[in-house]
Amino acid sequence: MDGSDIAEEVRPARESIAWSPGRETVHADSESPPEVLLEPLFWGLFSVGGFITAFLFPVTLFLLFFAGPFGLWPTDPGAYDAFVARWQEPLVRLFFFVLIGGSLFHGTHRLKFMLVDAGLKGRGVEAFLDLGLNGIAIFGSLGALYYALRGWLF
Amino acid sequence: MARHEYPWKRRPGWWLRNPRYLAFQLREAGGVVCALYGLLLLNLLMQLREGESAYVAFLTMLRTPPVLYLNGVLFGLVLWHAISWFMLIGKAQPVQLTRKPLPWKAVFGINVVLWLGVSGAVVYLTFGWI
Repeated sequence: MDGSDIAEEVRPARESIAWSPGRETVHADSESPPEVLLEPLFWGLFSVGGFITAFLFPVTLFLLFFAGPFGLWPTDPGAYDAFVARWQEPLVRLFFFVLIGGSLFHGTHRLKFMLVDAGLKGRGVEAFLDLGLNGIAIFGSLGALYYALRGWLF
Repeated sequence: MARHEYPWKRRPGWWLRNPRYLAFQLREAGGVVCALYGLLLLNLLMQLREGESAYVAFLTMLRTPPVLYLNGVLFGLVLWHAISWFMLIGKAQPVQLTRKPLPWKAVFGINVVLWLGVSGAVVYLTFGWI
């Protein structure tokens, strides 16, 4: 095998369409894809919400909804007097705002892709899902912020 | 070259054919249940704002046997969502503190320990210990 044979073999390999990071052909005159702004934001909120719900939800739900009725805790943390007393603390208000906001952004984003996987596809349908589900997450978070600040700052 | 999107379609009930697929779908469902609990907690705060009778009526409704048992099933999904989330962290985003990425089981163990610590902090800071 001489040198020209090797050159013949290398050239087609470099022009191969196989995945080759950093070697994609760039055409200066081609149109660049539209810039995506909101999608990474909602994916980011989904991911943060996943951590928030995973770390904070189980213990919170257990104490509020199961500890009292099943007698699994010395007191009933969900009882009105106990909860009102804790609600005076700014940290507790911040906690519930973060918990509600995180869970809504995480769960609605997940629901969107479950519905898309189930067959609800198409630009119009997905735009409707984005509007409705992100709307629930945004307004729900704003509602939680309102209740967290109400009676504390105004 | 024009991009070609390959049509794909999963068969109905695909997630029942393999325990891994079922576990995946249960985690997805658990994530959606988290949003339902978020709305439920938001309503709890609304009732708290309304006053004692509204809050107590809502909490009593949540503690009636049928709702309580449904709540238990949904809570199970939230727990599975949390556990499987910790399991996937080491796989989806390998943590590389050493020459080789940490095995996912080690990352899972670290997350569980963190989870227990964070839960203790929530009990102490949010609910005033007992």
